[in-house]
Amino acid sequence: MNVFDTIARGWQPLGIRARRAWSWLRQVSGDAAYENYLRCARREALSGVAGDAAPALLSPAEFYLDALRRRYSSVSRCC
Amino acid sequence: MKPILKGLLWTAIALGGGGALAAIAFERGEPLNAVWFVVAAVCTYLVAYRFYSAFLAARIFALDDSRATPAERLEDGRDYVATNKWVVLGHHFAAIAGPGPLVGPTLAAQFGYLPGTLWLIAGAALGGCVQDFTILFCSIRRDGKSLGQIAREEVSKRGGMIALVAVLAIMVILLAVIALVVVKALRESPWGTFTLAMTIPIAVLMGIYLRYLRPGRVLEATFGGVVLVALAVVAGQWVSLSPGWSRAFTLSAPALAIAIIAYGYAASTLPVWLLLAPRDYLSAFIKVGAILALATGVLFVRPTLQMPALTRFVDGSGPVFAGKIFPFCFITIACGAVSGFHALIASGTTPKMIRREGHARLVGYGSMLMESFVGVMAMIAACALQPGVYFAINSPAGIVGKTAGEAARTIGSWGFALDPQAMTLLAQRVGEHTLLDRTGGAPSLAVGMAQIFSGTIGGERLLGIWYHFAIMFEALFILTVLDAGTRVGRFMVQDLAGHVWKPLGQRGSTPGILATSGLMVGAWGYFLWQGVQDPLGGINSLWPLFGIANQLLAAVALVVATTILLKMGHARRIWVTLVPMVWLVIVTMTASYQKIFDPSPRLGFLAQARVLAGQISSGAIPAAQVATTQRLIFNNRLDAVVTGVLAAMVVVLAVEAILGWIVILRGGESAALHEAPYVATRWAEGD
Repeated sequence: MNVFDTIARGWQPLGIRARRAWSWLRQVSGDAAYENYLRCARREALSGVAGDAAPALLSPAEFYLDALRRRYSSVSRCC
Repeated sequence: MKPILKGLLWTAIALGGGGALAAIAFERGEPLNAVWFVVAAVCTYLVAYRFYSAFLAARIFALDDSRATPAERLEDGRDYVATNKWVVLGHHFAAIAGPGPLVGPTLAAQFGYLPGTLWLIAGAALGGCVQDFTILFCSIRRDGKSLGQIAREEVSKRGGMIALVAVLAIMVILLAVIALVVVKALRESPWGTFTLAMTIPIAVLMGIYLRYLRPGRVLEATFGGVVLVALAVVAGQWVSLSPGWSRAFTLSAPALAIAIIAYGYAASTLPVWLLLAPRDYLSAFIKVGAILALATGVLFVRPTLQMPALTRFVDGSGPVFAGKIFPFCFITIACGAVSGFHALIASGTTPKMIRREGHARLVGYGSMLMESFVGVMAMIAACALQPGVYFAINSPAGIVGKTAGEAARTIGSWGFALDPQAMTLLAQRVGEHTLLDRTGGAPSLAVGMAQIFSGTIGGERLLGIWYHFAIMFEALFILTVLDAGTRVGRFMVQDLAGHVWKPLGQRGSTPGILATSGLMVGAWGYFLWQGVQDPLGGINSLWPLFGIANQLLAAVALVVATTILLKMGHARRIWVTLVPMVWLVIVTMTASYQKIFDPSPRLGFLAQARVLAGQISSGAIPAAQVATTQRLIFNNRLDAVVTGVLAAMVVVLAVEAILGWIVILRGGESAALHEAPYVATRWAEGD
């Protein structure tokens, strides 16, 4: 194993950690909310839970507005 | 790790925490370094989390990871979304961390560093964390229901109604008092006012980006917003140095109050995406960033605390707010130790995101420990100031005088040295005309934070920038709470008003929105205006009122928790929620009684009204000021009535709960739990 392999191996966990941190930040901030929604809808479609009555998928803009309406209808920030 | 090594490690942590607490409690004479506070807090939190929360999770709640949570059973990709526990922790912490744990400890520093610090650490570990964890658990077991719904089902209909009224009362008083904090911080401060004003167009730009250009791309928009806000903080200095611009942004307290009332009305009626949501993203990021920076700065600078362990003001004669150490230390510090408001978050969005029941321990108990740590940081920042400077900033002009010389004489007579020239110089260095009579806690916290930040980056040169960054950060997230709170309060008023006249209850109806927004803004705006007009500064009256209302809600939450634990068959271990509940009832009732009936006009609302009425009848008030004085008399009587109503609700709830507990202990019908039935999880263990 040469020195470059060693450095690359040393950096690998850092890269993984950075990806995890970025993913965490996207989830906490709500940046990934639409992707979560699509994933859930796809899972439901595959399992056939909703059947023919499955609602149409929301567009990113529609989903964003819907999420805001729900979030600010109840206490979401504390003193 | 081998059990013996684990045992040794936890013994070392416990001894470290105990030693640091002993140093804080018993050290006299030599000034203490802030590191002692950090060690005491962190070691206590670790021990409390490792042992006490584990006891609650295993022995009381019997958290069951094999049981499907609402996030699994009811998953819809919108409200119910099973989420990684660290993500839920971040989400929950961002929701519960507000201005309370920063402002409360700063105000309570008038008693010295000791009482507030001990209450922050012990109150959180034994009270606040228990409340948050228990309510989160109860909500998870009930499909994510709200505190009001749980109270109605498990205690009584009246309990649910008291919870609803308590929430509305807290909303009104909280919004008024935090708006007053902003007014006090930005009064006659063109730099601060300009920076905060700039956050409005920045938020609107972000809103348009998020709505039309890149829907939902929160991180991109927030990054741009944070850069623009940082530029606004720097540009604020140029504004304050330009005579014309400076004049435009120099506002008196009444003018600022009117601007904030108008802003609150607009923000609650405008579409959410345009102003409220983008400001919320902006403020959440800046808030968490500033708190992390403060914690890092404290560890880096390791400031020495200048405030004594106990001051002479434990006797109730304090200039920041009136009242003895008991009960007012425990009323003033609400959110950093026990906060009823957290129960609303713990029974709101969070329970619908929990993937496994076991995660409730980290999210419920752990995030409250983090909030308590924020309170300890604020206490350090306030107590690192010279006590003379602290009291000069936080005391109203009616007590210490209007000039630096008068303030130095008054504060010197209390035993704290204050150099008038140094005070003027400090104001110049942070870019303000004066730092005197800046009550409310925010400016003294900003000075403390600026000293810690400038000790880390930039030195004295950047003191003004850091001060205004801190003011902007506090004001920004206070205004976000104001926007969001007014909106939610409006919905609550609409729900109530809908019973009287149906159109008012329709959330989409424009006249209904305008009328109920007006009612909500009018309610907190009235108290804000009252605070601005109060010759004693307003914080003296309003902050304890907010503390009483918040602790009342905590008592409601703990009554609900105690009732549920009794129904679960935990009569022998009921002390886990009963002890903090009894403590809060005693504190709330004592504070309410003193605020209404104390014979001292500085403390008792009725005494103050009597003194003012006596001055009018004896002719001591000039004719031109009689109308203003009559308004002050009315305000004091109104505050007494509000406090009395809050106290009466505590009594009704406590009596009702005790009667219910007797029935439960006798095995009556009401002993039935209203949990959702057990459903086994479909997810594998590692999911």
